[in-house]
Amino acid sequence: MNNILLVAGREFRQIAAMRSFWLTLLIIPLSMVIGGFTPMLIHNDEPSRVMVIDRTGGGEARAIRQRFELDANRDVLNELSRYVQRHHLENADPSALWAQHDRWYGDADVARFIAAGGADSAKAKIDRVKAKGTPEFKASKPDYQLVPLPASVLNASGASLDAAVKPVLKPQVKDAKPVDYVILVPASFGQSPLVRLWASRQPSQQFVTTIQDVLTRDLRTRFLAAQGLSPSAAQNATSIAPTLAISSPPPGGGAREALLIRSILPLFAAYMLMISLMLSGSWMLQGTVEERSNKLLETVLACVSPEELMYGKLLGTAGVGLFMIVVWVACGLFAAYATQGAIADFIRPALDPLTSPGIVIAMIYFFIVGYVAIAILFLAIGAMSDSMRDAQGYLMPVLLLILLPISVLMQAVLGGNNGGVLMEVLTWVPIWTPFAVLARLGLGIPAWEVIGSGLTLALFAAIEIVLLGRLFRASLLAQGQRPNLREVISRMRAVPS
Amino acid sequence: MSVLALERVTKRFDRVLAVDDLSFSVAPGSVFGFLGGNGAGKTTSLRMVLDIIRPTSGKIEVLGRAPGRQNAPEIGFLPEERGLYRQMTALDTIAYFGRLKGMAMTDAKREGAALLDRFGLAANTRTTVDKLSKGMAQKVQLATALVNRPRLLILDEPFSGLDPVNQGLLEEEIRRISATGATVVFSTHVMQHAERLCDRLLLLAHGRKKFDGTLDQARAELPARLNVIARQDPSELGGVESATDCGEAEKGWRKWDVRLEPGVAPGDVLERCIAEQFPLRRFEQLHASLHDVFVHIVGAPETVQ
Repeated sequence: MNNILLVAGREFRQIAAMRSFWLTLLIIPLSMVIGGFTPMLIHNDEPSRVMVIDRTGGGEARAIRQRFELDANRDVLNELSRYVQRHHLENADPSALWAQHDRWYGDADVARFIAAGGADSAKAKIDRVKAKGTPEFKASKPDYQLVPLPASVLNASGASLDAAVKPVLKPQVKDAKPVDYVILVPASFGQSPLVRLWASRQPSQQFVTTIQDVLTRDLRTRFLAAQGLSPSAAQNATSIAPTLAISSPPPGGGAREALLIRSILPLFAAYMLMISLMLSGSWMLQGTVEERSNKLLETVLACVSPEELMYGKLLGTAGVGLFMIVVWVACGLFAAYATQGAIADFIRPALDPLTSPGIVIAMIYFFIVGYVAIAILFLAIGAMSDSMRDAQGYLMPVLLLILLPISVLMQAVLGGNNGGVLMEVLTWVPIWTPFAVLARLGLGIPAWEVIGSGLTLALFAAIEIVLLGRLFRASLLAQGQRPNLREVISRMRAVPS
Repeated sequence: MSVLALERVTKRFDRVLAVDDLSFSVAPGSVFGFLGGNGAGKTTSLRMVLDIIRPTSGKIEVLGRAPGRQNAPEIGFLPEERGLYRQMTALDTIAYFGRLKGMAMTDAKREGAALLDRFGLAANTRTTVDKLSKGMAQKVQLATALVNRPRLLILDEPFSGLDPVNQGLLEEEIRRISATGATVVFSTHVMQHAERLCDRLLLLAHGRKKFDGTLDQARAELPARLNVIARQDPSELGGVESATDCGEAEKGWRKWDVRLEPGVAPGDVLERCIAEQFPLRRFEQLHASLHDVFVHIVGAPETVQ
């Protein structure tokens, strides 16, 4: 046992002395940080700038403005409602619209919200009851902003209007802000439904639908009025809409969202298993190849048995893999602690599986046995190779065999799929078992499958240790060309005397 | 009691018979030479002694026990193919192998530092192996074999690849460790080293033992040769197998290369010369080199230096 620990310690120190080890160790948390900030960097949350040329007298431009304001306030009301629900702040004003989460906010609701003081009034009420440490509510910016018409556009008509609109959409003057959309509602609107739209790029579906809706209502009002309905009745007829009562899961709980969040930790474990295995496995392989190519093995084997050498290497590499995971988890916890708010709020439900001892035991078991079952493949490859070039010949097919189905598996779990033939195959074929079971733990996997596949994996690992142990022993001092499949099988069958 | 004993040991690799019915023993405190050409079975035999590979049949006893890692604390081993962990420092490398041989860390480090000092590498204890010259790395490797002050030091072709200075250093170390009472077994195909160092020799060819004995016994395997200056042809003398005329030495006297019959001692021939009043100006016995003995016994000069 002492020799196993000595070999393991040396393996660990050798890998830890490599620059590539520390770089890789830091790259993962760094990429997570960059990944977290990237959406912020690439997301353009500036409102689209809209210009309305209303030649009907101003009524259509007003209607569009009102609709924009209504939609912007509806978004704020929705966000406020989710925020209140997430932080359980309904007692700030139980009668307020934002404390009622079971409905789709209609125009009348939004009008009531605005009349009650909007977001500012709601924030003041919430601030009185919210606990210390609860993040501030921040409303997102409105989608659209109406900009006034410049004289060049206001006075232009016919063909000259196109020429006047062009520099507005793509200004030549430096620092001038471009306009995203220009809408022309001609004086004949009503008799003719034609409305023109200039856009600086492909118009968004949401914008076109909004404008169409506003103008369609106006056309319908005019039509109903022409049919003899009073203007106010015609107006009301176009704004009739059902009130939708909605049941949706609260943020971080319930249904698929909850399942996915519960899957984060097991998925993370599967992903970490894969990354740490690939990295530490390839370092171990490199170390074993170095021992062979540097003619070191005979000296080592005079002091330790091939079995002690093999177990020591496995233990040392597993130590490296686990150390990497501990560092990454520590970085994650630090990030959660340091940021308090959103990340901690997100991580808390993700840590839910840890309250179930069964899941914790299963995660640890599949992680460790899975590690041994796959790492030993790298060790056997290292023992058969005289150089890294030799090793690549074996490594690539093995890596592809292990990794390709796993990427499909991850996608399936993220898509909420927890069944089907593929999932069953991946669960029961031992080289994929640890990844499949770990990934499925959050979605719910029958206990008999966990136990059955766990036992199969243990049996597979035991057979591997026997067969690959023989291969390792027989290959250590073997010389000559890279063994072919026949030779590999014969080494596995050779029982040490 | 012998330090190392092999009894009817055979090792077969697939269809190749590497060691064939080999038996010998090594006395404590001796320097034992394991001689043979390439492919004679020297390395295979030593690997079996160290339990790196197992014999097909036969019995091996090392320090009174079966081969195995339990013997590692009392054995030092320098393999023919040498290498070290490139990223480890010289001292850490020696200490690591000391630890694998059961030494405490402090003892291994202390002994390692003393060995580096003795080998003139005191300034390089913290230097990683990849930054050492080849000669320095060879000394570090030797130190890994000596760190545990072994009772039995096994060296497989220790002189191969060494420059003359390091060859001298190694010879000195072998004599030094032998003087402490330890046993040294080394394989070589360079006869000069064996001739200078060994108390006893074993000659191997194609896995089979051809000779086992002292250097004098080995020489006795060859018919004795004499360098003689005489007036007459000495081939008529009793015990002389042949005499070759090598030219005139001085007026009336000729030089003769005389080969004696097997088992005939030069002293007996000298006695006959005196008894028969055979006139002599020189009677010089020529000592056979180990190379000659090896070639005579093994008969494969192309594999011997």
